[in-house]
Order: sequence, then C-alpha cells, then structure tokens
Amino acid sequence: MPPTKTRPRLTLHSQTVPARLDQLEAVCQLVDLGARSSGFDDRTSYACQLAVTEACENIVKHGYREPGAGDIRVTTRSRPGELTVDLVDSAPPFNPTTAMPDDDWEAADPPVGGRGLLIIRRVMDDIRYERRGHRNHLRLRKRLLTPAD
Amino acid sequence: MDIKSQVYKRVVAVTVTGRVDSATAADLEAALNALTNEAGSNFVLDLGGVDFLSSSGLRVLVTTLKSVRKTGGDVRLAQPSQRAIDAINLAGLDVLFKVFPDRESAIASY
Repeated sequence: MPPTKTRPRLTLHSQTVPARLDQLEAVCQLVDLGARSSGFDDRTSYACQLAVTEACENIVKHGYREPGAGDIRVTTRSRPGELTVDLVDSAPPFNPTTAMPDDDWEAADPPVGGRGLLIIRRVMDDIRYERRGHRNHLRLRKRLLTPAD
Repeated sequence: MDIKSQVYKRVVAVTVTGRVDSATAADLEAALNALTNEAGSNFVLDLGGVDFLSSSGLRVLVTTLKSVRKTGGDVRLAQPSQRAIDAINLAGLDVLFKVFPDRESAIASY
C-alpha cells in the first residue's frame, strides 16, 4: 500500500478585539501564540507581531478612522513552519496591498510615514486582500525557509 | 513605556523602556519635544530596554531627528535591544542613526 500523505496538524487561535490602538498588545499576544505553535523562534515571532500590528493600526486609523468604531477579528492558523494571520473588519474598503511605501529617499530628508507598509512587506511572504460583502479580509502569511528553499 | 531623561552639559540622554507603539508614541513625542525646547538638540536615546518598536515609535525618532538637525543636533542610539534594531532595519531606517554599544560612548561621541 502506498504511503498516505497527511497534512501537518493545524492549530487555530482566534480573538475579536475593539478597533483601538490600546488593543494592539493583545493582538500581539495572539500572534505570538500562533507563531509559537508554528515553531517560530522569538525573533521571527516578533517580526510577525510587528507586521500584524502595522496592519491593525492601518485598520484603526485609515479604515474605521475613529477609535473603537468597530472590531477586528484576528485568527491565526499555525502549521509547522507556517503561520497565517487573517484580519477581518467591517470598516470602509481599505486595500493595503495597493499602497506603495516610499522607499526612494535620501538620508538628508528621511520619510516620516509609510514605514508600516514596508515592514509588512518585508516580514510577510504573502499578503492578500479581499472585500467580501461589507468586510475587509486581509491574509498575511509567513513561512520559515527550509533547506529545500 | 517608561521615559527617563538626564541632561548633561552638551547632551540629553533619554532612556526608553517597554513598548513603543501607536498607543504610547505620542507620550514619547511629547517628552522629546519638551526636551528639545528646554534642554538642547544633541540626543542620546538609550533603547536597551525597548521590547517593542512599531512604525509609530520610529516616526517619533525620525521627526525628532529632523527637528534637531535644524539646529545642528543629532539623535544617536545607545545599546538598542535586538528588537529595536530589528524594527529599525525592517523599516529601512538603519542608515539614519549612529548606534553605540553603551550610553557612555554615545554621550562621549558629541
């Protein structure tokens, strides 16, 4: 009988938080939990926490625009070596994948904004946005490099 | 987040500890603005105790740097934690700040 391929075990963590800046620490704790379940080390977990924090901050500031005007549902899906973070909110459409961070600047005149998007892009391997009904769905995925990569 | 400052003859040393994110960055900005107005423009930021630094905190560092440069000052970093370094590097801002392994050498660099 040929060997059966089984998908690695999936671990889910989920939490809904009010869309306020003081809730981002709680989001980080959830992302850390997911990252640990994926076998990520502290530094990789921190990078993921940074990226998800930036995405949530965008939702609060540029999506809802008013603190506490809605919620963000955060779901982490962990498999060995891979973490997926889904962010769902009901703010007006905001697609962070189309905004381009300004990475062409000189040290004499450094940019004050736009760093969050750059952090998201540098940390995450895959960023997908969808508008479904009246909700924004943002999926961020991080994979650990394996020797085969 | 905690902020402590010490004013020397030519240098303002500021120790930042804890989490610097969008919920706390405004406090850091207010503290640095006040020190810029009252104490001078040569800053040493001791980031050894920073355990989270988001783009909101980085924005404060950059705006302070731009502000003090107008009067010939600078913002130099002392013993930044690995997490602070990672955030600065990921944001592509590592070219902006001189980094020193300890407070003394950062202060002496002015």
